[in-house]
Amino acid sequence: MADDVRRWSDELARDPSSLVFLQLGEALRRQGQLEVALKIALRGLDRHQMNADAHDLVARIAVDRRDFARAMEEWETVLRIKPAHLGAMKGLGYVCFQQGRFEDAERFLSKAAAGGAGSDVSNALATVRRSSGGMLAPTLPSEAQAEDPQYLFADLLVDAGQTALLLDASGYVMAGVYLDAEGTNVAQDVGAQLSGISDEVLRSARHLDIGDWKAITFETQAAVVAMAPGRDNSLMVVAASRATPLGLLRRLLERCADRAAVWLGVERNGGDRQ
Amino acid sequence: MSTPFSEMLDSLTRQRGVRASLIVSESDGLVVDSNLRFGQDGERVAALAASMYRKARLSARAARLGAVAFLQLDAERGRICAVGGRSDLVIVVVADAAANVGLIRMELLKALETLE
Repeated sequence: MADDVRRWSDELARDPSSLVFLQLGEALRRQGQLEVALKIALRGLDRHQMNADAHDLVARIAVDRRDFARAMEEWETVLRIKPAHLGAMKGLGYVCFQQGRFEDAERFLSKAAAGGAGSDVSNALATVRRSSGGMLAPTLPSEAQAEDPQYLFADLLVDAGQTALLLDASGYVMAGVYLDAEGTNVAQDVGAQLSGISDEVLRSARHLDIGDWKAITFETQAAVVAMAPGRDNSLMVVAASRATPLGLLRRLLERCADRAAVWLGVERNGGDRQ
Repeated sequence: MSTPFSEMLDSLTRQRGVRASLIVSESDGLVVDSNLRFGQDGERVAALAASMYRKARLSARAARLGAVAFLQLDAERGRICAVGGRSDLVIVVVADAAANVGLIRMELLKALETLE
């Protein structure tokens, strides 16, 4: 990735009108270098004002900077240029949701779903409908949701910024989802990166004479994440917006871990949840 | 022997309940400098802290959550806290379970500013 960033930077220096700023800005955004990413994106946008992807990039960076008004403005511009742009519909759905405008959020996400967006949009729609207090019609029958492990923690999550995921000892996803700021399910990627952490920490903590581990919490620029070991060497992971007090995050972690323990017990005993 | 990190590590280890403080390389898990109380296994702490921090950073990247700032491991009889910044270095503290994590977090973030 560092090589790509260097290569794209060089290319942009050689040819400031190159569209490579889209890749460079996105890479920097993913690395959390939001101010640099924004600078690159805005410079590119100056030269390519009718490029929908340039506006989309600025919007995504704005979301990461929690500048929802700017993100909304940019995605609305994207849709004026390219009315079928799925990323903009998903983005607008997310921003509306953050602003508590559930009906608008549902409208944008439904359009994205109708336009061919993937399962991440279905998950986001389910979150919107859950958060709207049942005022909006559900996409999936509740019975189907109850059978789908993706929704195992759905009723425990109180806002769209919260997400919960259960991983097995190898980092494979067993239940829940891990939605990023755009509503994309990145559970498998997160699981792959966290695989083995439980066993490693268990062994080291015992060796260091601090006993069995109970939780790992970390803060990032955009979120707080907590994880705890579970039954059968599983790992429960929850995340919430940065503004969430750590005590509340711990409470959510405990509740999800309790739910996971029951579910794992049921799963092992033949999958009968009655 | 005094090193460029000695003062920072001394200051961290003076906090109530802190058993050890270390500067660790995230990429290879090796100790760069440390201030350990008797009985602490610096190399093991360094390897574990570096690995946890790396996994947290990579998972945060996968979820597009931005850079990791503060990390905390809670165990039955102790805690490990770590902060990292733009460089490869991670500052790590091993503390008792009853230590004041809020205070340790503030001191670690202050120490990180000095490091950068």
